Amino acid sequence: MSEGEQQVKLVSSDNVEILTERKIAERSMLIKNMIEDLGAPGEEAIPIMNVSEAVLRKVLEWCAHHKNDPTPTQDDDADSRKKTTDIEDWDQKFMQVDQEMLFEIILAANYMDIKALLDVGCKTVANMIKSKSPEEIRKTFNIQNDFTPEEEEQIRRENEWAEDR
Amino acid sequence: MSRSRRLQRLSSASSSSSSSTSPDRGADDDDDNDSFMLRSNDSQSSLGLETSAEMANDAAARLAYEERCRVSPVARLPAELLISIFARLSAPSDLRNCMLVSKEWARNSVGLLWHRPGMNRWDSIHNVVQSIRKSDKFFAYPDLVKRLNMSTLASQVSDGSLIGMTECKRVERLTLTNCSKLTDVSLQPLVDGNRSLLALDITGLDQVTDKTMVTVADNCLRLQGLNITGCKKITDMSVVAIAKTCRHLKRLKFNGCAQLTDTSIMTVAAHSTHLLEIDLHGLSNVEGPSITALLTSCPHLREVRLAHCTKLSDDAFTSLPSALEMPFTLDALRILDLTDCNDLGDKGVERIIDACPRLRNLILAKCRAITDRAVLAITKLGKNLHYIHLGHCARITDYSVEALAKACNRIRYIDLACCSNLTDNSVTKLAGLPKLKRIGLVKCAGITDRSIYALAMGEAGKNSGGRREAREGRGHGHGRGHHGSNGGSVLERVHLSYCTNLTLDSIHVLLNHCPKLTHLSLTGVQAFLRDELLVFCREAPPEFNDHQRDVFCVFSGNGVGRLRDFLNNEKALQLASASGDSSAPPSMMGDEDRNGVGIVDVDGDFDGEAESDGSTTPVITVDVHGDRHAQGGTPVAPMPVPGPSSGLLFTGGQQTQHAMAGRWQPHVGPSWNYPPFHHQHGGGSSAGFGFASLSSSAPATTGSMLSNWPGSNNVPHHYQQHPSTQPLPPFHHSHQQHQGAGAQHVTGMMSAAALDDVDEEGDETLGEGSDEGMGD
Repeated sequence: MSEGEQQVKLVSSDNVEILTERKIAERSMLIKNMIEDLGAPGEEAIPIMNVSEAVLRKVLEWCAHHKNDPTPTQDDDADSRKKTTDIEDWDQKFMQVDQEMLFEIILAANYMDIKALLDVGCKTVANMIKSKSPEEIRKTFNIQNDFTPEEEEQIRRENEWAEDR
Repeated sequence: MSRSRRLQRLSSASSSSSSSTSPDRGADDDDDNDSFMLRSNDSQSSLGLETSAEMANDAAARLAYEERCRVSPVARLPAELLISIFARLSAPSDLRNCMLVSKEWARNSVGLLWHRPGMNRWDSIHNVVQSIRKSDKFFAYPDLVKRLNMSTLASQVSDGSLIGMTECKRVERLTLTNCSKLTDVSLQPLVDGNRSLLALDITGLDQVTDKTMVTVADNCLRLQGLNITGCKKITDMSVVAIAKTCRHLKRLKFNGCAQLTDTSIMTVAAHSTHLLEIDLHGLSNVEGPSITALLTSCPHLREVRLAHCTKLSDDAFTSLPSALEMPFTLDALRILDLTDCNDLGDKGVERIIDACPRLRNLILAKCRAITDRAVLAITKLGKNLHYIHLGHCARITDYSVEALAKACNRIRYIDLACCSNLTDNSVTKLAGLPKLKRIGLVKCAGITDRSIYALAMGEAGKNSGGRREAREGRGHGHGRGHHGSNGGSVLERVHLSYCTNLTLDSIHVLLNHCPKLTHLSLTGVQAFLRDELLVFCREAPPEFNDHQRDVFCVFSGNGVGRLRDFLNNEKALQLASASGDSSAPPSMMGDEDRNGVGIVDVDGDFDGEAESDGSTTPVITVDVHGDRHAQGGTPVAPMPVPGPSSGLLFTGGQQTQHAMAGRWQPHVGPSWNYPPFHHQHGGGSSAGFGFASLSSSAPATTGSMLSNWPGSNNVPHHYQQHPSTQPLPPFHHSHQQHQGAGAQHVTGMMSAAALDDVDEEGDETLGEGSDEGMGD
């Protein structure tokens, strides 16, 4: 069995054990580093403290689909900083989940240090914001407006230069 | 610190809640966040809530938090994730809309929005300045501005506009390129007290004096990049101060600061050991020893531009520490510009090459003293050399240029303008460079159509098919051939002005072989000074006089494609009319040949895509199967009979060409014409096959047919002796020109005034510098 096909055991925050390929799990830099530190993968279960089973399974689904992606280079890092919100089709479908799950995925990607997944998550949310009015954004995310009308008007005025014209 | 964050920490400390997954942020971030809040009331009120939340017991706080997240899941995101989402929004209007959503969103988006405030329009600037200067603003906008760029409005910007930004003390990048009205009045107060400045660009602010620069030296200790190009009032005094106090300087541009002397350069050399890049264009006071010191003490230098430092001579380089005592090399140096360092000779160049073995761009234009010896030294750079300018190095000969082409096979850019000793032998060798994108041969009056055919054939002309396939089979590492199997010539820019021997036919072949061509200059080439061609030429620059206008002939962008189409149409018309001539003899080709050629080509027995849009090209409508001939010479003309002027076009061209061709191709018979167009041989079938190859040709075909050629210089022999290969050369009907690739760059100081150089204005003599992507 090659190193990549080795099985590793992950434990979710709600104490569910999940077996997966090492190659898949190692899309997460957190897990990759832990495996390297632990030395003997497969023997000891790796606790993923802050991620519940449902979210962890979802994240591993993404990792499995992307397990053969090339490791990002410095250049790719610079690219991801570029402001693009293009998302490939599979990822777009993958992200069609309720908001609860969407933000859990983002949090998990951040915690587990899976840059590409975090990137897709952030892009997905950015696309939900793009070209919407403040009121439409509030509606989309169910956010309460805690400004007074005066405050709102002041911010509007002070940032007028950023308006589309 | 935001409330959500604190709760985040609470919940993370208390349990295994899935909500808290982000690592804590550093204290710095929190400070930053607080500084966004200027209005004490607001920050007070939110802080007050936090305090009470903190004091409440964990359970209650968690409950409230969970409830909030249930209602609005986005609340789970900590500030840094919210910010990283907002960072994907490119439109300022989207960020502004985020600011208006809620206080938490406002806090996390305002920094991104104000990072680089909009300075492209007057009403924007007005609004920005107004918000900056307000006494009761909602956020501390001045501290959020990290980049300030007013170069869009450039010369319209006055001190009055910039002074409104004085409060912005955390600006890291200040770009005021060509805001030439600005003076110390607004600039000095702006930099005063700024400890954050990393990069200052005041190119063209010729009224700025040492006063501002001394303030920079006193305050901006983190400064890394300084561009004071054209700031003529600045003297050694302030530059010395900056070099002494700003210890992190990496990029310095002092171009045209005519008052600067060795004193500045020596101080930079002594203090700025991290220097990566220095431009000293036109500092005519600078002498050898300071340059020697600079090169010796700044081992990380990547780019050094010393154009028009006319006092420099060999000793600036021969005085570098000798390799024997202490191995000295500038391994990082990639770009060296020595344009017009007139006293530089072969010895200097030899030492440069020894000391800088990894030079990628070397510009020796107008170093008139150098000879073949210098160029032979340059060949030692081998694969490292990508860009070489030897314009006006008139003493060099074919001997060294051929050696250069052989040794440095990754050259992408070469300029040999006015190297009048050079002949077709040089160009034929250079044509074999697989990555050649740009070649400048202005006033290389010795070159003939032979050079142009070689350029059109590119690398393929040199290699047998077998060798080429074997090499490509070996796979990666090697660049695709100049005419590699996936896409043909990479040649983009060809400068042939005043190459007076050239004719229409060779250029037509070049056009059809080089689909990426975006620039073709033929100023002063008689064969092109015809009204019907000049309509595709671009406008002469406004400063040209009448004579210059008369001879101006540069095709660029769309013009190249239009010229190609026009010439193809002309040919088609001419062929059509020839094939309709019943008195024309039948094809010289045998049936066998016809079939062999025609069928193979028409079937498109290859993978090229170059012809994919061929069907839209008028010439393609000619019957490629040649059965018209069998049916009795029905005219195959797909379009109206040519008018007299267009009919004359190629006839004239041919005559000239025959005359020219005769010089290097004595065996050419009177009926010889260049490959695809055997209309003088008459028959419809001949014409038809010619076009068959037009419509379906691809690099693979080229390769196999060229494979028999020992060298492209005897191409015509080949045609003559082996008519079966007549459909050469194939055509790439790529009408989609790569506009971007060869786009005009402003070269600023490099744009030469001399007439023979004017068509080089678009060339990035200096501009390719920062392009690191091409490297190995």
